[in-house]
Amino acid sequence: MILFDKVWFSYGTRQVLKDLSFSIEFKEKVAILGGSGEGKTTILKLIVGLIKPDSGKITIEGEDITNKTEDELRGVRMKFSIVFQEGALFDSLNVKENVAFCLREYTKMSEDETDKRVRELLQIVGVEEAIELMPEELSGGMHRRVSIARSLAACEPKMFLYDEPTSGLDPINADNICKLILELSAPPSPPLSKGGIKGGGRGFIIVTHKVFDAMKVADRFMFLKDGMIIFDGNKGELINTTIPEIQLFMVELNLKPL
Amino acid sequence: MGQGRQDSQYLAKMKKVKIKELISGLQDFYLLSLRGLVGIIRKPFYLKDTIEQMDYAGAGTFLIIFLVSLFVGMALSLQLSAELSRLGLKMYTGMIVGISVIRELGPVVAALVFAGRVGAGMASELGSMVLGHQVDTLRVFGVDPIKKLVTPRILSSLLMLPALTIIGDAVSLFGGYYIAVFVSHQSSTFYWSSIREVLTFENVFAGAVKPFIFGYLIACICCYTGLSTKGGAIGLRRSTTRAVVTSIIMIIVSDFILTRILLYALGFPV
Repeated sequence: MILFDKVWFSYGTRQVLKDLSFSIEFKEKVAILGGSGEGKTTILKLIVGLIKPDSGKITIEGEDITNKTEDELRGVRMKFSIVFQEGALFDSLNVKENVAFCLREYTKMSEDETDKRVRELLQIVGVEEAIELMPEELSGGMHRRVSIARSLAACEPKMFLYDEPTSGLDPINADNICKLILELSAPPSPPLSKGGIKGGGRGFIIVTHKVFDAMKVADRFMFLKDGMIIFDGNKGELINTTIPEIQLFMVELNLKPL
Repeated sequence: MGQGRQDSQYLAKMKKVKIKELISGLQDFYLLSLRGLVGIIRKPFYLKDTIEQMDYAGAGTFLIIFLVSLFVGMALSLQLSAELSRLGLKMYTGMIVGISVIRELGPVVAALVFAGRVGAGMASELGSMVLGHQVDTLRVFGVDPIKKLVTPRILSSLLMLPALTIIGDAVSLFGGYYIAVFVSHQSSTFYWSSIREVLTFENVFAGAVKPFIFGYLIACICCYTGLSTKGGAIGLRRSTTRAVVTSIIMIIVSDFILTRILLYALGFPV
């Protein structure tokens, strides 16, 4: 379980998160919504210890990670598979080298085994044909898929963290990414299970400002405004909310009239 | 009245934050410089990354250093020939060109060119990696960004800048030779014999130490500035400019300090 206890965070003089408290189970499918600069990505970075809170406590499976060093955080980070905004693929490496990055770094796999594993992962995310391409040759959707494959190669995650996975994508590609997110978190069932990755019943946290995409994949929704969570509920509660800021988000997506 | 008090409170808070940022920035810089250097002798070694950086820093900068050094040597020889002719001391052109290039101009010119080309490249590449979350990705994967990104750049600068300086020195001396012999009509033999005279251990040592220090400084400053990039394209422009400007200032300042120390240590009378 991820637990935020009275977390405050600021970038210089700009207070981003104010007294934030919530808990998320690893099996939950959560969407954190909010406008740009509201601190959605900051929450993901805090979960994996990339940044430290000004005050408050963050606990992962009962382990306080607030003051852990980089080495100590490695074990915590291995519990998550994080996909950053726009993929964050290494520019100087091609798709195969990107996906193989952690395999080469941490395993003693032979070149043939690595190649086989990379192809398997790329097949799972549906971009096997892009194996020799460089990141700049990939479309936005392919970028995200390769990034997901790379994060899967890194570890056997307990939870996926997606940072704006559909931003900048056309509706069809965005829909495909949403389907992939759901497939990767589907309950365990033999036909879906490939290499122990697809369909592990693992939960995810998706941070996005696209309510429409979030609704396709998540069961629980949190809405960030001015560094605080102003809404935490399920799909039905979100649709029927009377909170004006959220209603405005829904209107923009033609989901709900004013 | 209330607004004024709020403003002054805000300014005081800003000042506090800035001072805190400055102190933690200095601490981060020293840690990066130290850990980057220690990384050379500690596993894991990123040989492929180091070779790539050496290629970028060395082969890619060679032509620029060649051209700049050639014209610096020629201009220096021209100026000296003109001034020394008036005093009837034209035969000292080679000696003064030799001392100036080996001890001072060669290392400084090579370092300035290196900072402008390689340093700017380091800062902008690392900056764009930070903005594209590639550095965060490395950290999530348990890879130390200092070992993976900074150490290869420090090592390549430590190896390549001295090599480029030696080439630059030689090219400058040939540039000086061309002007002294073919323009100022001095004796070729005398020019080279006076160069040989100044190639003493003290002079060569004084010129050889500097590129290592400059290379280390450039790599540390540019890596640190690149890794602290914030704020999109404008932030990237700002950090690249800051990296080059800070490197140039530090080269000039450290050159003076090193010259003072080396002259004292090598027993030159001042």
